[in-house]
Amino acid sequence: MSDGGSIVDVAVIGGGPAGIAAAIAARKEGARKVVVYERDWEAGGILQQCIHPGFGLHMFGEELTGPEYMDRYLKQAKEAGVEFALNTMVFQMDPPNETDDGRRSASFWVMNPNTGIERVRAKSVVLAMGCRERPAGALGIAGTRPAGVYTAGTAQRFVNMEGLMPGKKVVIMGTGDIGLIMARRMVLEGAEVVAVFEIMPWVSGLRRNIAQCLDDFGIPYYLEHSVRELHGRDRLEGISVVQIGKDRKPIDGTERFIGCDTLLLAVGLIPENELSRMAGIELEASTNGPAVNELLQTSAECVFAAGNVVVVYDLVDFVSEAGERAGSSAALYALGKLGKGPREFAVETTPNIRVVSPQKLCGARDTTVFLRVAEPIEGRCKLYAEPGIFSQTLRYARPGEMNEVKIDAQKLRALPGDVKSIKIGLEAVK
Amino acid sequence: MVGSVKENGNFDVLIIGCGIVGATIARELSRYTMKTAVLERASDIPFGASRANSSMIHGGFDDEPGSAKAKFCPAGNRMYHTLCEELDFKLRKFGSFVCARGESEERHLKKLYEQGKANGTVGMEIISGQKLREKEPNTSPEITAALWCESGAIVNNFEATLAFIDNARQNGVSLYMETEVTAIIFDESRSSVRGVSTNRGNFYAPVIINASGVYADVISRMVGDDSFIIHPTRGEYFIFDKAVGNFVTSFLFSCPSKLGKGITVTHTADDNLLIGPTSVEQDDRENRNTTASGLDETFEGAARLVPGIPRNMAITTFAGVRANISTGDFYIKALERPLGFINVAGIKSPGFTSAPAIALYVTELIRENLGDVVKFEKDPAFVPERKHIPRFIDLSAGERQRLAASDPKWGQIVCRCESVTEAQVVEAIRRGARTVAAVKLWVRPGTGRCQGGFCAPRVVEILARELGVSPLEITRHGGNSHMLTSRTKEPILQDLPGAPL
Repeated sequence: MSDGGSIVDVAVIGGGPAGIAAAIAARKEGARKVVVYERDWEAGGILQQCIHPGFGLHMFGEELTGPEYMDRYLKQAKEAGVEFALNTMVFQMDPPNETDDGRRSASFWVMNPNTGIERVRAKSVVLAMGCRERPAGALGIAGTRPAGVYTAGTAQRFVNMEGLMPGKKVVIMGTGDIGLIMARRMVLEGAEVVAVFEIMPWVSGLRRNIAQCLDDFGIPYYLEHSVRELHGRDRLEGISVVQIGKDRKPIDGTERFIGCDTLLLAVGLIPENELSRMAGIELEASTNGPAVNELLQTSAECVFAAGNVVVVYDLVDFVSEAGERAGSSAALYALGKLGKGPREFAVETTPNIRVVSPQKLCGARDTTVFLRVAEPIEGRCKLYAEPGIFSQTLRYARPGEMNEVKIDAQKLRALPGDVKSIKIGLEAVK
Repeated sequence: MVGSVKENGNFDVLIIGCGIVGATIARELSRYTMKTAVLERASDIPFGASRANSSMIHGGFDDEPGSAKAKFCPAGNRMYHTLCEELDFKLRKFGSFVCARGESEERHLKKLYEQGKANGTVGMEIISGQKLREKEPNTSPEITAALWCESGAIVNNFEATLAFIDNARQNGVSLYMETEVTAIIFDESRSSVRGVSTNRGNFYAPVIINASGVYADVISRMVGDDSFIIHPTRGEYFIFDKAVGNFVTSFLFSCPSKLGKGITVTHTADDNLLIGPTSVEQDDRENRNTTASGLDETFEGAARLVPGIPRNMAITTFAGVRANISTGDFYIKALERPLGFINVAGIKSPGFTSAPAIALYVTELIRENLGDVVKFEKDPAFVPERKHIPRFIDLSAGERQRLAASDPKWGQIVCRCESVTEAQVVEAIRRGARTVAAVKLWVRPGTGRCQGGFCAPRVVEILARELGVSPLEITRHGGNSHMLTSRTKEPILQDLPGAPL
């Protein structure tokens, strides 16, 4: 083990859309040695297996596939002089140390099959590890433990990356976007998709995916239904589904059997923060991601975070935008140019907002606060940030689609000194 | 089947079943020059009750003095404390508590304490509820006293079972997987056994050991001994994320009732939290289903010991079937007719603990009863030590560096949650793993919080590559449990008339 290890200015952990955008921005901001550490053999993250179109409408004004979208960023990264350490897994992160000048710096451990294990020291770090899928076990579905039960993303990898079919007759549990996308994908590959079930009274993915992936292919979906039991000892032979009542509990007597050889789960994504925990970074209970401000700075001042590791986004374009912000902040920190923000505000929300990010504001730059409502509001509603920061009327608000609150930094800074929090709320308009 | 039956050769001893009982006996016999074969019905080891249990190495206070359980359990416990070093499986000396609520249960603790003393259990003490909560702050405030047992320990039960059979194989024992005994072969007068018929042909030996778990009575009836009946008893469990593993740091029992030891809560050898089991008698020996009501019962039972376990941190659920026996106690007996047949039946809790001591006893039974047909000559080549596949997750930075430099596969993580490298998976396959489940039992990919979401495609790929087969042939756990059904496009092409397939 080379104990000196390598020394970099900005280290980016994770080579998906957030990490690559962060690395490009860090180089543009003037950081010299910017390295992306990616555990897969190629950069691009989960987008490399997302071969369907629908990416880039905000960022490029056109509809791209996942690999096309990443290709554009990878070209930019090459031009910007970003370095990549591929097939390199960060397996341990130390709590950031105080350096001689009273600032902090980060260190972590990487492993690569060819170069072995090495310690990396970095002036600043961008966490961009993304998220993972909630597994079947977490749902506590009763019954057997057969082959043929996969998360939608695992099935997507089998089909799109390896050319292998996980099954022929499919049921999908959950209306998360990957589940909807995989419903269409399995049909296109010749499988039969029997139905999609959702435990909540509303769809959790994007409406456009319901239209394009289910309706266009005649795949039925049922709200307030859940899988109660798996059948089949070797391969899955069927499932029992049950209707869910208004109390969110199964309604006895509504159970029915559906024959299938495959169950795909799209029941939620969990930010992947094992490294953040090791480094002692403060996490936010509502998002399961690091608590950050609009500079995307975490509780450890030299560590920044962006993308789905912070909060699960609906569109990759927003992930890239967050990556840019985090990369720029991390570069400024590495160059000794990132001061403390002029003010400190906590972001508070009304109870009908389930997720908000960032949860802190410092007034350093204009920014967008992203939020998800707890339940759909079908009809006009007012989204606001008080006192007097932002107000907008929406046609509707749905949990599957994030809402944006634009924050003008000047307005924030001009608030009276005794204002310590910003309240973001949403209310129906008559 | 008409025609040729495959002949698999002559052995001295055949062991039916490769659970902890079969594996420990095989390892014990591998000290001698005799030829031993183990026949296992399943595709992965361990499969039956040895796979799905509470992984407890009991202190030995639970059982009536004078019973076989009381004899073998404390002895087995002592053996495990040295065997874990010799055979390199995880055993963690966390200790156990039996928790009592109120006077009547406290009286029961005293009875257990006295029983333990009679049985030779070491390291017991009755402590107050308050003392318990100092050691285990998350336990229920309603617990008034507890019986501490220092010699209670937790094993990784997969590793332990594999360790015994792995060492046995290193010392010359043959293992036949997916081999199900269908009949016993006798000599002409039916006075002694000659071998067994299986789905894979015939095996011959003058000694047959029935260690077939929930099938023990079925096999025993094949030789005409119907003196016991197995009542398969199913128990359901939850495993929780390591993030809440430290909810408790030892093994917690409720006060035992007539139904068994009740729901327990434990910190596992791999730092997860495990709760269970329920206890439901059933006719079906194969039903390992979990049920909505059983899982609720498990969770509620655990909450009586340790309230506040977050149910949403569960990563998986499973059920095991244990071999409750009509005679109550372990049933270990060499038959006089047919000679050569030994029942080792009803080895339920504390069966895992007792197994190494039972193996010694069974060896003596063979020597005493069948010493004239089987020679007990010490094998000079016997090696008692064996190493598990290095557990990357537990290695120091220096050891990791050394291994990664020795082979790039040690630097390739296959399972992120449990930090399992490609080298570990390859070695598991070299030592006999053939299914996704077997690889998981050997080296743990898929046991973590993502439950195989990330590693399953990689494990399938490595299995296919190492075994030289198509990924379509790889199964989850043998039989028809194929992970994949076809290549992409194939289902479409098959539908086209005259398609070139």
